[in-house]
Amino acid sequence: MSRPHLLLPFAMLLPSFALVIWIMGYPVADLMRMSVHAVNRFGQAGNFVGALNFSKLFADPLFWASFRRTVIWTVCVTSGTIMISIPVALILSQDFAGRSLARLIVLLPWAVSATMTGIVWRWTLNGQFGMLNALLLKFGLTDQPIEFLATGQVAFPVAILIGILAAVPLTVIIFLGAFSSLPGDVFDAARIDGAGPLNTFRYMTLPLIRPFVNIAIVLNVIYAFNSFAIIWILTQGGPANSTDILVTYLYKVAFQYGKMAEASAMSLMMFAFLLVFCILYARFAMRERAL
Amino acid sequence: MSYARKSILFWLLLSPLLIMVLLPYAVMLSTALKPPTEVFTFPPRWLPETIDLSNFTVIWGKIDFGRALLNSLYVSVGATILTLLLAIPAAYAMARYTLPARGALRLFLLLTQMISPVVLIIGIFRMMSAQGLINDHRSLILAYSGFSVAFAVWMLQSYFETIPREIEEAAHIDGASWFASLRHIFLPLAMPAIGVTAIFTFIAAWTDFILAFTLLRTPDKLTATMKLFYLVSGTYHVDWNEVMAATLVTTVPIAVIFILLQKQIVGGLALGAVK
Repeated sequence: MSRPHLLLPFAMLLPSFALVIWIMGYPVADLMRMSVHAVNRFGQAGNFVGALNFSKLFADPLFWASFRRTVIWTVCVTSGTIMISIPVALILSQDFAGRSLARLIVLLPWAVSATMTGIVWRWTLNGQFGMLNALLLKFGLTDQPIEFLATGQVAFPVAILIGILAAVPLTVIIFLGAFSSLPGDVFDAARIDGAGPLNTFRYMTLPLIRPFVNIAIVLNVIYAFNSFAIIWILTQGGPANSTDILVTYLYKVAFQYGKMAEASAMSLMMFAFLLVFCILYARFAMRERAL
Repeated sequence: MSYARKSILFWLLLSPLLIMVLLPYAVMLSTALKPPTEVFTFPPRWLPETIDLSNFTVIWGKIDFGRALLNSLYVSVGATILTLLLAIPAAYAMARYTLPARGALRLFLLLTQMISPVVLIIGIFRMMSAQGLINDHRSLILAYSGFSVAFAVWMLQSYFETIPREIEEAAHIDGASWFASLRHIFLPLAMPAIGVTAIFTFIAAWTDFILAFTLLRTPDKLTATMKLFYLVSGTYHVDWNEVMAATLVTTVPIAVIFILLQKQIVGGLALGAVK
């Protein structure tokens, strides 16, 4: 195709790509500049300080505590979500009475925002008047109402459970796709050859859905790592930073403590981490599509 | 195992998850129907003694929730329109022309659709304030589109590729102009994909937290999500009956859209780069 012919398609592409590059490129460039300069409370960059902002950050125990909690959060939410989603998708891909209703209920939370989920759970878990306490008291599972969100030791695991609940629908969708792509005749052959359901799952199903497991892991790591709303709404990272993960701590460092330079350094490192997982995702997704 | 037995077993196995999923809706409904006096009773009760529908009327005046819903609608529809206007031509170009560096372009789309605004939020805030767009709905529309357009292009392209070129070529041979064949042949065929893409963009905008939280300032500009968040986080006393009524009002329309279009949405999620 000659040059003039390419003008039109590139003119059609340009606005989309320009918007993406603007909305992501400008912030990244700005964060890079700020992370190596001194920045005052009003966000004006001063002297070049090299790696000082990074070393200040590395000397901050709250940063490390949030970092450690982010690892726990991401690993627990991701693994919990996948361990629930595989059997659920397996059941939902069988034929049984009321399957479409069950499927609808399982997938529904995808359309409801994390914010709404967070708000409703915050009330459900209310230490005095919450509905969960109403249930627990009624069935005699506790004789005192439980203050679910008052301490980090209880609030953080509770947040993890809610994070899992929020992530299950999308992951179930991925595995529903995986199970529907399985070749039926091979499984019929295995059954005729006398393979039990457990062996079939272990030696046939799992290896065949492996690419989908990879995609589900990477996607969930990305979502869990980025998930701000659930923790912010439940506890705002409190009490006393005891439920902060990196994204919530980042927000505080930048907008509450006003340390823009350190926050920029932190933000950049998180962006780099995210980019690695996005590249992994792109690789898995590309390979899946090539099949 | 008989069909009936199998069905019962599967429902039993799913029940813990189903209960956890439905619990928030039950809580919303239970609280939203209670009069204020019944909300703060100890021990808490599930069923309201008197059903009070006034929570659903009070929220329009007292917390100006109608305006918040309109704000949400405005930014979500705005973002959806802008995203489609940008993404449809781009996806068409990707699907119909032999472009140099096509692989690189696709990789760029795949990578950037996974980037979330959270890690860039400081930079986005500074950029928008440099443009004078803080507390301005246009900043949200631009940002939502910026973070949705890569996914939209990706998804539309994969669908556009399934529409055979021959149909358009036949129209050309019959003397239709390029624009006429685009408008009368291609776009109607592409409508289902455009619809699903619109729904994704709309839901992403409607459910956003971090961007609205960072870019909006005054109560009159808040989206429904933000309004609710400030109601439960700011003040010491929370009128949970009103909050739950408002939450229900915000959630139900989206849930209905999802229920009606479940097949298309799930299909879209599974097909177009699982987002």
